[in-house]
Amino acid sequence: MKMRAVRKLLAVTILSAMLTFLYACSTQDILSDKPQKDLPQTTLDFWHHYSAQSPENEILTNVLIPKFEEENKGYKINAVSHEWADLHDKFIISTSSGILPDVARMDIAWLPEFHKMDILVPLDKEFSEFESVSGELLENALNTAKIGDHYYALPLNTNTKILFINKQVFADKGKKAPSTMQEMMETAKELSGKTPDGKQIWGLCEPALSGWNVLPYIWSFGGDITDETYTKASGYVNSPETAEAINMLKELYKANALTGFNSGDIPMTDGFGTGRYMMLLDGPWKIAELKGSYPDFQYETANVPGGKGGSVSVLGGEDIAMLKGGNKEGAWAFMKFMTASFAQEEMSKAGQIPVNKAALESATVKNASFSPFLNAITTAKIRPPIATWSEIDNELSIAVTKILTEDADTQKTLDELAIKLDALLSGR
Amino acid sequence: MDLKTTRNRIQVFLLLLPGILMFSIFTVYPIIKLFVMSFYRWELGSFHKQEFIWFQNYSAVLSDEVFRISFINTLLYTIITVPGQMILGLLAAVLINSLPRFQIPFRVIYYLPVITPWVIASLVFKYIFNTEGMLNYILYEVLHLTNRNIAWLDSRWSGMFVTEILGIWKGVGWNMVVFLAALKSVPMELYEVADLDGCGSIKKFLYVTLPCIKNTILFAMVMLTIGGFNVFTSIKLITDGKPLHRTETVLTWMYYKAFRSGKFGYAAALSFIVVVTLILLAALQFRIMKNRNEEGFI
Repeated sequence: MKMRAVRKLLAVTILSAMLTFLYACSTQDILSDKPQKDLPQTTLDFWHHYSAQSPENEILTNVLIPKFEEENKGYKINAVSHEWADLHDKFIISTSSGILPDVARMDIAWLPEFHKMDILVPLDKEFSEFESVSGELLENALNTAKIGDHYYALPLNTNTKILFINKQVFADKGKKAPSTMQEMMETAKELSGKTPDGKQIWGLCEPALSGWNVLPYIWSFGGDITDETYTKASGYVNSPETAEAINMLKELYKANALTGFNSGDIPMTDGFGTGRYMMLLDGPWKIAELKGSYPDFQYETANVPGGKGGSVSVLGGEDIAMLKGGNKEGAWAFMKFMTASFAQEEMSKAGQIPVNKAALESATVKNASFSPFLNAITTAKIRPPIATWSEIDNELSIAVTKILTEDADTQKTLDELAIKLDALLSGR
Repeated sequence: MDLKTTRNRIQVFLLLLPGILMFSIFTVYPIIKLFVMSFYRWELGSFHKQEFIWFQNYSAVLSDEVFRISFINTLLYTIITVPGQMILGLLAAVLINSLPRFQIPFRVIYYLPVITPWVIASLVFKYIFNTEGMLNYILYEVLHLTNRNIAWLDSRWSGMFVTEILGIWKGVGWNMVVFLAALKSVPMELYEVADLDGCGSIKKFLYVTLPCIKNTILFAMVMLTIGGFNVFTSIKLITDGKPLHRTETVLTWMYYKAFRSGKFGYAAALSFIVVVTLILLAALQFRIMKNRNEEGFI
């Protein structure tokens, strides 16, 4: 008797669940504003690392995506925001599980790594109109998407680093922004010392000692870390010019005129905004950061101080790439849209430096807060676009840290580094 | 339920099936997959076609200087934080247990660090121990005990020390709760007999309390040792392995190799070396406790 009651109860429960499920499915159409036939046919997954709360993301979601969907009926963009570092890891994990988006915005430094993972579509091979589309974009930015003989992405936005100086202190001391590396070293030493209440002041801040940080010094001194074909480090990373650049940083660190890369140091923006760091090299985002955190702080910008190699900064930025296994036609349409002048000009309103030549000529861009960076971009160089870059970068960072913080012999350490980098470059 | 009949056995099996399936898919399969990966060159560019390389990943891990540093760091972290948490947790439990009133407020206070997320606690500790942080402000500018700011996070030992203090601070509450439950289960008669024999508080603690809660001690020790080897968030957020990878632990190094360098085969081999180490340590702990049991706790 009891068993029969339980069975009845079970049957009623299952029936109710089925009815609820059927009703839930049917309400999709009832509740929808539009009839089924007007709904987008294909959803394109777009992964990016515009911060979720950023103006860039607002423009993307409120202006660009609606416009794209209006112009390209049948496509719906599912934009997913990730943290910058998380997105890199997400690609690696998702590749092993085979779940990738159709299209993605990615740091230019990741491209060689993802190319090696064989997840990117060679655009020039796949699309006949690649040449005309890419012809609209800056050449040095486009080079960030070239690996071997093919192009695996389109540049989306670019950036570089320039010199930021504390305007008030420089004026008080009667100084100008240094134009040479020698001047920079002398100025950094002169401006270092103590505040009236005994707190340390550093002339120069570098938040890390990786390639992104030390390459502007190395290149401007006339040095390099590899040859032009990225196959050999010996003779480049241990050249006298590279050693001279590292020795300048070492001398500044020893003189207590350089810091920022140790775990316990004051974060870069805070140190600069509170007058503890006098100079730093950074990208266009620093303008927004300072405006947000230290709106009254007075600063000036200048080009990276020059040396034997000229004034050479490091090129950063993002590319937009198509992932294998996705909807190629839809992804290509979205990539063309995002690199065309309308989207590029819109994004420039949020501080993104365009790569589209027509957008760069617009009044919006010329009057933008990032205009001081436009000149530096033309001479900036890219980090080696090779798959082993993250390992090379790690070795470079370790070597420079040892030279600066442990007083290791510069030439000997760079010679040892050259051997390691040669092995990495040759794939050993 | 009588399991002698086939019908009952099928019924039990069906009831267990969802759990077995979940466990197999989300625990057993990944472990087997990881074990297989550890014998392949599984890295960037070889996701679709891997080469079987026997024990090369294991030998690469064992000959890696950073792995040696990270293993020693992890071992020291465990050696320092496990007894630290247990002794302070037991002390707190004994003190709270002896309180006639206000046991619940004290339990809550001690347990608060446990429910504080690791990320928040780590960032607060980083703020305290930064070179320009709160501790240096007090030592240098308020108390004038030092003649400059100390770079706590910029060297291997002091950086690890900060994470160890955090580990102990966060773990005391959990130990307190576990030991408090064990203390409540010690029969009062044993204390009364000890009283009649003229034992003082220390003797009662050594000869009555400790032997009665030895299983809890073993449980806590094994769990905390596993937890010690799993230290990750605090290191990642406080030192991030700096300087020169000298404050890496096995998990942060595994994460770095897998997700920064893309060397999944290496990371899989490393994880299995950690598993073997943990099994050996747990076996050792069981053996020591068993011997203590046979010889008497003290």
